[in-house]
Amino acid sequence: MLSFLAKRLVGLLLTLMAASFLVFAVTEFSPGNVARKTLGPYASQEQVDLLYSRLHLSDPLLVRYARWMSVLVGAIDDPLQDSALKLDFKDRRGTRYFGNFGYSTLFKAPVNDVIWTRIGHTAVLAGCAFGLIVPLSLISGILAGMREGSRLDRTISILGIIFTSIPEFASGVFLAAIFVVGFGWLPGTSPMDSGSGWSLAAQLVLPITVLVLFDSGYVTRMVRGSMAEVMNKPFIRTAILKGLPRREVITRHAIRNAMIAPFTVILLQINFLISGVVVTEMVFAYPGFGRMLLEASLFGDIQLIEAATLIALTVAVSTQLISDIGYMVLNPQIRL
Amino acid sequence: MGEKIRNPHIDSLKSQLAEGKIDRREFLRFATLMGLSVPAAYAFVGEVTGEGLVAPARAAMPQGGTLRLGSRIKDIKNPHTYSWGAWDSNISRQVCEYLTLTDEHNVTHPYLLEKWDVSPDLKTWTLHVRSDVKWRNGNPFTADDVIWNLKRVLDPAVGSSVVGLMTGYMLEEYDAGQKDEKGNPKKSTRLWDADAIEKVDDHTIRLNCKIPQIAVPEHLFHYPLAMLYPGDNGVFQPGAQGTGAFELTDFELGKRAVVKARKGYWGEGPYLDAIEFIDMGDDPSAAIAAMASKQVHGLVSADPIQFDALKALPFVVLYQVATAETAVLRAKVTQKPYDDPRVRKAMRLAIDPEAIVQVALRGLGIPGEHHHVSVAQPDYAKLAHFKRDVAAAKKLLADAGYPSGFDAELFVPKDPPWNGAESQAAVEQWKEAGIRVKVSIMPGQEYWDVWMKVPLGCTIWYHRPLGVMVLGLAYRTGVPWNESGYANPEFDKLLNEAEGTIDLEKRKAVMAKLEQIMQEDGPVVQPLWRTNFSFYDKKVKGFSMHPTNYIFGNKLAMES
Repeated sequence: MLSFLAKRLVGLLLTLMAASFLVFAVTEFSPGNVARKTLGPYASQEQVDLLYSRLHLSDPLLVRYARWMSVLVGAIDDPLQDSALKLDFKDRRGTRYFGNFGYSTLFKAPVNDVIWTRIGHTAVLAGCAFGLIVPLSLISGILAGMREGSRLDRTISILGIIFTSIPEFASGVFLAAIFVVGFGWLPGTSPMDSGSGWSLAAQLVLPITVLVLFDSGYVTRMVRGSMAEVMNKPFIRTAILKGLPRREVITRHAIRNAMIAPFTVILLQINFLISGVVVTEMVFAYPGFGRMLLEASLFGDIQLIEAATLIALTVAVSTQLISDIGYMVLNPQIRL
Repeated sequence: MGEKIRNPHIDSLKSQLAEGKIDRREFLRFATLMGLSVPAAYAFVGEVTGEGLVAPARAAMPQGGTLRLGSRIKDIKNPHTYSWGAWDSNISRQVCEYLTLTDEHNVTHPYLLEKWDVSPDLKTWTLHVRSDVKWRNGNPFTADDVIWNLKRVLDPAVGSSVVGLMTGYMLEEYDAGQKDEKGNPKKSTRLWDADAIEKVDDHTIRLNCKIPQIAVPEHLFHYPLAMLYPGDNGVFQPGAQGTGAFELTDFELGKRAVVKARKGYWGEGPYLDAIEFIDMGDDPSAAIAAMASKQVHGLVSADPIQFDALKALPFVVLYQVATAETAVLRAKVTQKPYDDPRVRKAMRLAIDPEAIVQVALRGLGIPGEHHHVSVAQPDYAKLAHFKRDVAAAKKLLADAGYPSGFDAELFVPKDPPWNGAESQAAVEQWKEAGIRVKVSIMPGQEYWDVWMKVPLGCTIWYHRPLGVMVLGLAYRTGVPWNESGYANPEFDKLLNEAEGTIDLEKRKAVMAKLEQIMQEDGPVVQPLWRTNFSFYDKKVKGFSMHPTNYIFGNKLAMES
C-alpha cells in the first residue's frame, strides 16, 4: 500500500511539473507582457522597456520557467518584489518562502493573498452543492434503477435529462427571473458580503441550486444505469428466490455493488465543482476560484494562472487517488 | 492685488449674446471660463434673454445611510496616472478634490479655487485658492499643495495624461541627452519656463503660458488632476489624506471600496454616512439582478443592453444626459492601406451614422460627423451635412488602388457591449463599399494592451466639455494618447490657434477648418455620440447624471 501511494505521489509531481511548463509556454503567446501589465496602459514605452529589462523578461523560456520554479520552492527572492524597482509590491510573508506563488499583476497583490480566499469561497459553494448532489442523485438513481422501466424510473430519468440539458447560464437567469425579479425572495447577485441586507446563506441559495440541478441530473443517470445493471445480475435473482425481502436485497447486496462505477463519477464532480463553476460564478458575481481564473486568463496574469493550474491539478489527481482507494474498500476483489 | 481686472472678453461676450450672435449656452461656458462668476453669468443671461436660472427649491436633505453603487473596482493607487475616467476617479474624487468642477451643463465652476482671473491675451492665469479648505489632518490647503500637484502631473517620469492636455502651453520638448536604439536623441519634456507655475502668495498661483489657452479651468478638472496631499507621495490608498467629504476606509481590487463621511468638510454635505462601490463583474445581467434585489441603489453607468430590463423595475428612476462620449473606429495611419487618406475618407463615406445610432444605442444617442466634435459642445462648428455615399467611397478606393475593396480586421473590446454593436453595424455598412472587415472581439484587458498598436480598433473616448480638448488629447502629433499616429502640422497649428482664440466667431471659423480636416484627412470613423443614462433607486436624492459618470458624494442623500 505504501509503495503504491509513493508511486502515485511521484506521478502527481511529474504531472504538475509537465502541466505547469505547458501553461507557462502557452501563456507566452498571449499579447502583452508582465512589465506593461504592471505599469498600466498609459505609462511611457521607456518605462515599460526599463522594467522589462530589469525583470529579465527577454531570457529564454526555460530560464524564466526555472526562475519561477525557484521562487515557488523558496530558493530565490521574487524579482517583482525587489525594492529597487520601486513598484511597491509587498508580501507580508517575505520575498523568499516555500509556496511563494509570486505577485498577481491583475489584483496588484501577492497571489497567496488572492487565491486562498477565492478557493475558500468556491469550496463553500462546491461543498454545499456536493453535499446536496450526492444524496439527491444516489436516492433518485437507486429509486429509478431498482425498478427499471417503472413510472418512477421514467419520471426521474426525464427530469434528469431536462435539468442536465439546461446550461448554467440559462438556468441561472430563469431562476433569477422567477425568484429575484418575480417574487423578490432571493438576492440577484452573491458578492458574499452581508452589508446589502441579504444574509450570506440567502446569497448562496441560487448558485447552489443552479449547480445542483445541473449536476445531479447527470449523476442520477449514472447511478440509475449502474443500479439497473446490478439488479439484472444472477446473484440478485438468487437472493430474491432465496426469499430475502426486496428491501434487504437492495440494501445489503445491490447498492454496494452498484456504487463502484458511480463512485468515480461522483468524485470527478469535485473537479467540475472547483474549476468548472465559472459560469455560475459569473452569472451571480460570486467571488470564486473559477471567475478569478477566467479573469486572470483574459488579463494574462501568468503568476495567478500558474498557481491556479497547479492547485486545480492537485485536486484532480488527489480525487483520482481517493477514488482508487475507495474502489479497494468497496470491492475487496480489487487490489492494487 | 485686489483690483478687479475688467476683462474685455467678457464685455465682448456680453455684447455678442445681446446681439444674438451666440446662444446662452456658449455665453455661459465662455464667460465663466473667463472668470465671470457663475451666478453673475446666469444673472446676465436672465437679463438679456429672459431665461434666468430658477434655482430649484432645495428640500432639506435626509441625513445618514449608506449608498451602495454598482461599479467596477480598478487599481486606484496612482490618481495622477488614472486612465479609466469614472471607475477609478469616482472613488478618489470623494477624498481628493479638484481645483474646478465642470457640471452637467458644461459650465465650469471654481471648486477648491475661489475664483480665477485671466489676462486679455489669455496667457496669464491667476488662480485664487479658497482659504477655508483643510486637509483631514487639520493642515490648511495652500498654494504650495497646488503647485506640488501641478508640477508632479507635468513631470514626464510620472506618466500622466495631463501632459497631453497641457503640452501646448506649459511644456517644451528638449534633448534629454540620451539616445534611443536608433541613435536618435531621446526627447523629453519640461516646463517651458522656470516661472511657468509661479507662487504669488499662500493662496495665489499664477500660470504663465507659452501660448494663449482658453480652457485652463476645464483642464484643471481632468480626472487625473486630483489634489493629493504631498506627504502621501502620489499614492492613494485607505487612510490617504484629502480635502474631500469622505475618507477611504476599505479597498479590495475587483471587489469593493468603501468611503466614510468625515467631519469638518468645507463644502456642501456630506449627508450620507458612507458610500460603497461594489464590483459587479463583466456580466451586464449581474448588475440588473443586483438592482432588482436592491443589493445596490444605483449603477455608475448603464449600457443600452440593460435599458429594457432596468426600466421595468418599479422602484427606480431614469437619469440621462447627452454627452460627447463616443467610440471611434480608428485606423493607424502608418500602416497600409490606411496611410492613404482616400481610403480613410472612403471608410467614412460608407457609413450611415443615423442607422448606427438606432442599432447600437437603441436610439439613445445622436449621430456623429466623424470629426469628434459634438453639437453638444460649445465650440462645435456646423459643417455641410456629411452624407453617406457608397458610390463615392468605391471611387475613392479605386483611385487609391483598391478597385475591389480590401480586407481588414477590426479589434473591439468586449466591454462595454455597445462598442461591439457599433462595430458590427459599421462592418455591415462597409461591406457595401467592398471593405470586408472581420470583427475580433477581445476581453477589455487585452484590448487596452494593444489599443495603440492595432491597425484598426474601436476605442471609447469619454466626454470632454470642449471639442478642442479631445482633439488635443487624441490627434495632436506625438501626444501620449495619439492612438492613430496622426501627424499633421497644419492641424496642430490650427489647434493651437483654436485653443487660444476667445472671440467665438473667429474660433468657430478655426474649428470649422479643423473639423474639415478631420472629415477629409482624419484617421477615424466616428458615427455616434452616446446619451449616458443610469437608473437609481427612488430613495436616492440629490443625484443628476454627469456626462462623464462622475459621482459627487457630498451632494447625495438617502431616504430611509
